[in-house]
This record gives sequence, structure tokens and C-alpha cells, in this order.
Amino acid sequence: MERIANAGNGGLVAELAAVIVENKAWLSEIDGKIGDGDHGVNMAKGFGRTAERLEGGESLAEALSVLSDVLMSEIGGSMGPLYGMMFSGMAEAIEGAEEIDAEDFGAMLQAGLDEVRDIGSAEPGDKTLLDAYVPAVDAYGKALAAGSGMSAALEAMCAAAEAGRDATIDMVAKVGRAARLGERSRGVQDAGATSCALILCALAKGTASRLSDA
Amino acid sequence: MPPRSSSGSARGADAGAGVPLRFGDDLLLWASWLYYEEGMTQSDIARIIGVSRASVISYLADARTRGIVNISIETNRLRALSVARSLSEHFGLKDCLVIPSTGGERPLVESLGAAGAQALRALFRSGDTIGVGWGRSVLAAAKALSTEALQDIRVVQVTGSTSAHVPYTPAACATAMAAAIGAECIPLSAPAIVSTPELRDLLCRESPVREQLACLAELNRIVLGIASMRPSSTLHASGLLKDGPMFRDAYAGAVGEIAGHFVDARGLPVSGPLEARMIGITLEDLARVPQRIAIAGGVDKVPAILAALRGGHANVLVTDAATGAGILHAEGLSVPQVRPGQETVAGLPVRTRVKKFLNAPDEAVDEALEGAVADYAGFLRPVRGSNRALVALDGPRPGKVGVVIGGGAGHDPCFLGYVGRGMADAVAIGNVFASPPPGPILDATRAADGGAGVLHLFGNYSGDVMNFEMAAEMADSGGIAVRTLVTTDDVASAGERQARRGVAGNVLVFKAAGAAADRMLPLVEVAALARKANDRSYTIGVALEPCSLPETQRPLFAIGAGEMEVGVGIHGEPGVARQALENADDTADLVVDRILTAMDPKQGDEVALLLNSLGATPLMELHIIGRRVRQRLKARGVVVARSWAGHYCTSLDMVGMSVTMMHLDAELKGLLDHPCHTPAFRVAPVATG
Repeated sequence: MERIANAGNGGLVAELAAVIVENKAWLSEIDGKIGDGDHGVNMAKGFGRTAERLEGGESLAEALSVLSDVLMSEIGGSMGPLYGMMFSGMAEAIEGAEEIDAEDFGAMLQAGLDEVRDIGSAEPGDKTLLDAYVPAVDAYGKALAAGSGMSAALEAMCAAAEAGRDATIDMVAKVGRAARLGERSRGVQDAGATSCALILCALAKGTASRLSDA
Repeated sequence: MPPRSSSGSARGADAGAGVPLRFGDDLLLWASWLYYEEGMTQSDIARIIGVSRASVISYLADARTRGIVNISIETNRLRALSVARSLSEHFGLKDCLVIPSTGGERPLVESLGAAGAQALRALFRSGDTIGVGWGRSVLAAAKALSTEALQDIRVVQVTGSTSAHVPYTPAACATAMAAAIGAECIPLSAPAIVSTPELRDLLCRESPVREQLACLAELNRIVLGIASMRPSSTLHASGLLKDGPMFRDAYAGAVGEIAGHFVDARGLPVSGPLEARMIGITLEDLARVPQRIAIAGGVDKVPAILAALRGGHANVLVTDAATGAGILHAEGLSVPQVRPGQETVAGLPVRTRVKKFLNAPDEAVDEALEGAVADYAGFLRPVRGSNRALVALDGPRPGKVGVVIGGGAGHDPCFLGYVGRGMADAVAIGNVFASPPPGPILDATRAADGGAGVLHLFGNYSGDVMNFEMAAEMADSGGIAVRTLVTTDDVASAGERQARRGVAGNVLVFKAAGAAADRMLPLVEVAALARKANDRSYTIGVALEPCSLPETQRPLFAIGAGEMEVGVGIHGEPGVARQALENADDTADLVVDRILTAMDPKQGDEVALLLNSLGATPLMELHIIGRRVRQRLKARGVVVARSWAGHYCTSLDMVGMSVTMMHLDAELKGLLDHPCHTPAFRVAPVATG
């Protein structure tokens, strides 16, 4: 059965951070169209600081905890608490586990989603990061149920996150700053959904590259 | 991962832009103008109008076949334009509209009425007190005019009534004008000319007439006809001038009549037996009206109009090209030659990198805080070594409710400028445009606590709400009672109060809450007063240029050269609507209209007025806006009891302003007057003794 080890795989979070830092300008540009244009800057600050603080030997759960702490306590804004809670949920779900198999990974995804929904007030369709996250979790679960292996399910998850992100283009924002724009928010993709898709795809890719089958 | 190009976002805001007023709803004319006059490409036109390029090509073809694009019409139009320009320049007119002389398929008076209506629609403003004279052109203009966009207007009849059975009497003209624009009509309940000077004086002392005449001193605009003295003129038909040798001799030197007064060729008044018996506006009062619009045309009126212009009795003229040319000719000026050609205006280069005084952009907030904490060392200090949580030196004290404010950086002097005695006790500061995390908020809360609980006050943004909520929970579990009030004064952002953003109205809410706490009121009452202050605050912002973040030094979004962003927030978010750039008065009107609609004040109510720069707009422009805001409030009968102008809640270097009004009552006024001493807001104690 496909799985990854928890111990020693904190590097996955460093890869995640690298993807966010790399896309800093793009995220800010998207945010500037209907938001305040600081999404990339704040995300890069939080993820970048996390990367600096990781020493290299952390488990995946420990590294996710560091990421959560930095986001929660140093970043502020709305993304600080939202992503902070998401990664805290994920870390908690796999804390103490030796290995993470397909089912554990699904539980981890779900735990992150639960935390985001708990602290935020958005529903799917409101043009937020949920519109990337919710379909991604669904797609992952459905792929497994249909008998796919973990790596195939991870690919499905990433594809669904990106499709969900693109679907926000035609949505009208219902929460957050863009909500004040009403119809004018249509036609621009949501920055939160964009960063969420980046995160989920980096997570999928990093996990798939670490899979062992024994 | 590269950004996906999306066809959906390409049309963007331009597509929604309306047709500029000068084109009415005529897309063919607009397209033709952009193509032939502005020299734009078909693709540019398609983008501006918001249609496909194919549609533009068919518009242009249609315009040619339907004769909209036609050399002879163009020449005629240009000629009218050059006559108008010459008249304006020579007589120092504020505005002049000259319609092409058409050659007669439509009576001149009707064309003048239509043109007059067009001019009046552009000139009239909400809150105006408009005098209306009499005559065929004035009545035709009133009849052609129709608008529902104006509020709080009074129309005043400026000449007494006449008995003649003509449709264009002074009373009929004023009534028709008032009906056309939905104004209150103030008649002049007396004859234009009475039998004796004694009777005139008696009548003018009667209270209805006296009150009506008093309104004449308050006119800010007047619409007038100009009558010629020729025997067949409307003046004779009107009953104003009785035929008879005595009158003819007395007024032999007069060439025209304006607002009931006879003037000679130089525009000077001609005295005769009628002046002492006339009831209506005096020439002195007329001269004091800032905008005096004459609508008159016809070659027979050239001497009369010329006299009115020479005498300065009118400073806006609506006439036709033949009459205009006649006036210029009579004045010894040549009618300007038509020279078709393009005046090109060089566009400013687009700002791609905004210059800023920075070292390392990432350090901008911390470096600014380091400076601010030193600058304001007499007011505040860091709570625990970090400048992200600051506490007032003279604020928190035992038994006093602590007031904690906070939010992102980039809004200076919001928020730290309001920390000090009588306002906020402590502040938490985040990164640029991003809420502080819970840590500094908790530090500020602990520092502000005097055992009576703490009020959290911040703008309604999801990030601030989440972070303050977490900090409040932590403070609560540490034994500090916390109440929260989110400010929601931005009228543009949502219909419902609780969904609105918090913008510059913040400052007045901080002031009221800080005063309540300084009076040692309990937490429940401080929170209730803060809520009341917020519920009665209304703000609208308008931006002309976007702001730029320290990290990017690029404009956050684009506002076109001829556009402005209405309902803009304080984070550089685009506003609620993009529209054509307006002048200061029209912009102020737009803002006042929306605020008054939301506030719905009664006659005699008081407001506090906060004129706020969003960063780069200078005080001079705020005062210009404020001037108009006050005119409108006066017209509505609302009193500006307190006012401030300056940088109070900004959005980095955004060019723009916001207007906040707090609907006052005695309690709120008392809270605003309570002394406070902070870096950015001070109210001196009233001297006693």
C-alpha cells in the first residue's frame, strides 16, 4: 500500500513554501484586481519565514505546526488565521502517526478543511479558497473510492483544485473584501482559491514524490 | 505555474462605462467621434464602448450612410463652436452654447429651448436657488427640460406678475421650470408694475411679498430672457411696457429689457417712470447672482443681447450661430474662420514605478513604527518592547474602560495617531493593509485594561474580525472582559449597516468611545455609545489614482485618465463603481446625495463633517469639496456643527478623498467636544472661570 513516512518529511513543507514564494508577484497581481493586492506579499512572508525556521529534521506534522504557528501569530490579515488554522488541523490529524497512507492523507485534508470552515464564514460558491479546497477533497475521496491508488488520487486532487480555482472566475464574491464589489468581482479569479490550489498541488506533488509502496 | 489568461477578465471595467453625456445615448455618434475626431483605432473604440470590433466597423459604416459623418454638418458645428469661443473670450462669459443656425425647418425658439434645456441640465445642481425670468425662450427651455436627478432646489419668480394673455408670463415660466426639475416654486405674488411708487412700497412690505423678495438675495443662478424694444417684440405683448408717447420718450434710449429693467446700448440702466413702480429683482441683486444664464436668439435681438453682454448682466449665453455672428459683427469683431484641425494633447506617461522614500520595502512598516514611536514619545510607548502594540502614556488607569483600536498599516494617522488621553488607550498594528495577528492585540488589551474591561474597536474586515476575535477570547480567559464594536461607516460598500466597511468614520467613533471611557462610564455604556456613534456615521470615498504598496511600488490597479473610482475603500480595493471624472462640485454632489439618502436628516439637524484625504490629495482640494458639501447641507437645512479637514484615515499614496458625516445629537456632540490629546486629534478643554 502506498504511504509516506511522517518522520523526516518536513522538507515537504519547505517545498510548499518555495512554491508560494515563487508565486508571490502573481498572487498579488490577482489580488489587486478585486482585493487589496497584498495576498502574495503576506503569503510569501509567512511561508518564507517558516522555511527559514525549519531546521531540516522535522517530521511532516512538526513542520506543518511550525507553518501554522508562523501564519497564526505573525502574519495577521485574513489569510493568517485561515491558513494558520488549516495547517494546524492538518498537523493535528497526523500528529504521532508513523506513516501516512491514502486514508490518513484524506483525513488530514478533511481536518484542514474543517478548521477553515470553522473559523471562516464562507460557503462553497462564495469565491474563496473553499472553491478550490472543497472539490479537491471530494475528488481525492472519489478517486480512492473508485479504486485508484494514492498517487492517482493525488493527481485528481490537484486537477480538481485547479479546476475549482478557475471556476471562481465566473463567481461573484460573497465574503471578504471583494464582496463589496458585487458584480464587479466577476471575471477575475479569486486570489485565495489560487493560493489554495498552489498549496494543494504542491502538497500532492511533494507527497507523490515521497511515496513508498511496501 | 503561469497565470491563465482569461477572456473573462479582459473586458474589465471599461466595458461598463456609460456613454459620455455629450453623446446622449447615441453610440453611432460616439463611435464616429472617437474615430474621426480622436483618431482612435477601431480596436480601441471597441474596448471603450464595450462592443466587438465588428460592431464598431458597422457603426462607422452606418454613420457614414446616415449622414452623421458629413462634411457640411461638421463645418456648421465647428462654426457654431468658434462663434461660441469668440463670444466667451470677448465678453468674459463663463460659458456659451451656440447652436448651428439650421435654416428654419424648426422654429428658432424651439431650437433655443432645446439647447437651453441641455445647458440648464448641465448647469443646475442639487441645492440650488434658481431665479427664473420670463419670455418665449425661457418657457421653451423649461418645457424641453426634464430631470429627476436633482434634490433640494428652489425656483424663484424674479419679476412680478403680468396680466397679459400670453403663455410666457413670469409666473408661467417659473411654474414650468419648477415642474420640470421637481423644485419648490416660490412665486412673486404682486404685479410687475403697480400704479404708484407708494403702492409698490406698501406691497413690498406685505409679508408674503417681503419673504418672496428676500429669496432673490439668495439666488445662485438665474435664467433670463432678453427682450428687444422693437414694436412687435414680446415685451409689448407681455403687458410689461405700455405703449404711449410718454413711455416711448422716456425709454427712447433703451435697446432691450432684461429682468424687468431697460438698458441702453452700453448695458447701462435707462431710468423712466416705471422703475419706482416695479416689483421684482433689482439690477444690484442681479449682479450678485453668481451664474446669470441668458437664453435668447434671433437677429432682431442682436442689439438687446449685445447690451446685456456689455453690461455684464448675463455671464452664460445660449444663442444661435447667426445671432452670435451678428453680435460679434456689431461689436466690430470678425467672425472666426473655420479651421478644422485637431488639437492634440500630449498624454502624461503612465506611472509604472512609483517613487517612494524607502530603504528595504519589507522593513517599511517597522522602520515607520520606529520613527513614529520616537516622534510621538510624549503620547505613547511600546507595550513589551515591540512597536506592534503601543499604549498611551496618559490613558489607562484603574477603573477606566480601556479602548483598544487597531488594524493594518498604511492608513496613517490611523491607527496609532489616535492613541492618547481621551481617545484610544492602546493600539495593535499589522502589516500594510493586513490586520495584526492576535498577539499584539492581546498585548494592547492587557496594557489598556484598568480592571473595568476593554472595548475592541476596529474596521469591519474579515481579517480584523478573526484576529481580534481570537485575541478577545484569549483576554477573556485571562480575566479581562472584552466587548467588540466593528465600525461600518462606508455607505458605498453595502446597503445593510452591518455589512459595510469601516473607513474614515473610524476616527469619530474612536473619539466618541474614547470620551465615554474617559468619563469613567462602565464598559456596557462605552460600548453602547460607540455603537451609537457608528450607527450614525456615514462615509463615501472617491479615488482619482490608485495607491501603490511599498513592496511593489506599482499602482495597485489602473484608473483611466478620464475616470474616477466611487465608493473606494482604504485598502486600495477598487471602489463600487467606476465612472467618468467629474469636477469638484459634481463629485461632492454625488457623495452628498448618497450620504443624505442614507442619513435622511431633518431640517435643522446637526452633523459633524470630516473631510479626509486618502493620502495624496492636498488640503486645498478638500476645502473645495468641503465648500460644496456645506452649500448642499445648507440647502437641505442641515447644520455643520463640527468639522475637520486633513489626513485622518488614508490609503498610502492614493489620490482621493472621503467625506464622513456623523448625524449628531446632544450626546454625541458632547462626546466629540470632550477634551482629548493624541498625536493626530486634539480637542482642547474649554476654559473655565
